[in-house]
Amino acid sequence: MPGPTPRPVAYLDHGATSWPKPQQVVDAVVRALTDLGGNPGRGAYAMALDASRAIFEARRTCAELLGVPDSRDLLFQPGCTAGCNLMLKGVLKPGDRVVVGSMEHNAVARPLEHLARLGVEVVVVNADSTGLVDPDDVERQVRAAPARAVVCQHASNLTGTVQLIGDLADIAHEHGALMLVDGAQGAGHLDIDISALGADAYATSGHKGMLGPQGVGLLYLAPDLDAQTQIEGGTGGGGSESPDMPPERPDRYEAGTANTPGVVGLGAAAAFVAAEGPEQRRREAELTRRLHEGILEIEGFHVLGPPPGVPRVPIVSAVHDRVDADRIAFALDRTYGIAARAGLHCAPWAHRTIGTIDCGAIRFGVGWSNSEEHVELALRALQEIVSS
Amino acid sequence: MSGRQRRTFVVFGFTTTHAALAAEQLLKDLGVPVTPIPSPKSLGGALCGIALRLDPVDAARAEILLERVELAVAARGEIEDV
Ligand SMILES: Cc1ncc(COP(=O)(O)O)c(C=O)c1O
Repeated sequence: MPGPTPRPVAYLDHGATSWPKPQQVVDAVVRALTDLGGNPGRGAYAMALDASRAIFEARRTCAELLGVPDSRDLLFQPGCTAGCNLMLKGVLKPGDRVVVGSMEHNAVARPLEHLARLGVEVVVVNADSTGLVDPDDVERQVRAAPARAVVCQHASNLTGTVQLIGDLADIAHEHGALMLVDGAQGAGHLDIDISALGADAYATSGHKGMLGPQGVGLLYLAPDLDAQTQIEGGTGGGGSESPDMPPERPDRYEAGTANTPGVVGLGAAAAFVAAEGPEQRRREAELTRRLHEGILEIEGFHVLGPPPGVPRVPIVSAVHDRVDADRIAFALDRTYGIAARAGLHCAPWAHRTIGTIDCGAIRFGVGWSNSEEHVELALRALQEIVSS
Repeated sequence: MSGRQRRTFVVFGFTTTHAALAAEQLLKDLGVPVTPIPSPKSLGGALCGIALRLDPVDAARAEILLERVELAVAARGEIEDV
């Protein structure tokens, strides 16, 4: 039997998913599988109660981290993709008009394309060459005709650009529209206070900057936002004879048995991020800047997104004049043990906006587990790959 | 048959497990003893599976404390200890 695949020497794909996970997260998942065996919300015997309590606590920890005043408004979802689907399909109806930035990931772009086929008018506002959606452009569109919602990512998974969500939310609300946000690349990497941001819905992954396990994400829905459920099913309890989903949150949007290991792991991860966040973000920013400037020094490379010094989430994507991104990624992996991702990153809208739809890009995602050595190794490797 | 006297308790029902557990935590933090129990059928209605059992002397104060934080008690009843 072949042995296990060696672990990467430098894991620089935190934009796709974080690795490794903090030991506290691993321990929490193991504890959930070992000790929290009962079905949460489905029984009142001790082990089921323990599972229910662990989920309750995890929700509170996540809510505190993200600035959600009432944790009932923070819903556990299978991922950011599921959260985006709920906040878009649950809110937008045929005949509605929606204004959206052009940097969106397919988690938003595809549900919107689907809704467009059902009669939702989707107006795409082009971002500039750094990936930034100009709030003035959005304002022009929401002023031109009534819009049900403005939709925008918090940060780009291609360019690392941080969007001006606060300004966009003000504009949306001034014109009677909702502000719906895909925060997959924001949570954990940015200091987020969802209430202060003014988002009416904010979806995020649990497994990226939040450092939790895969298979769990979060969706904040403002208390007065009545989104149509997308999944109906069991919620436990005595309301079972009703044909309708209960009106109360979180149950309304969490049909089916909860992902206890994922949720409990995410709770432990949120506690870790709350404790380590400021220092972690400072280190990530430093490493990201070094990587960004280092790549710019290598002949033939162009870095996408904002220039050094402008805030970005810890993502650096680049293209080279002569060497294709897929070849670079392959060499990084095979020769140097560096994990980085080439291609379109599930974001064709963004690549089209930036002008890289035909060539793709090589993307580095920096995270909590990275060191200066990882960055220096990547820079040396890039230099050698394009010189050979 | 034991000659032990049965005690009467007040039971609060909630519509979600989240609300029941939030109420449990709040009341315990404020020094009101509560015990989670399976929701008794007699409470009826669309309740979650967990109810809170309290001593009758604490019930009125507990209900006021919960109302203050918008954790409405969805059903209220009495049960005899078993
Ligand atoms: C900007 C953005 N939105 C949404 C997603 C989807 O997240 P998930 O795969 O966790 O559902 C991703 C992750 O790839 C992303 O980068």
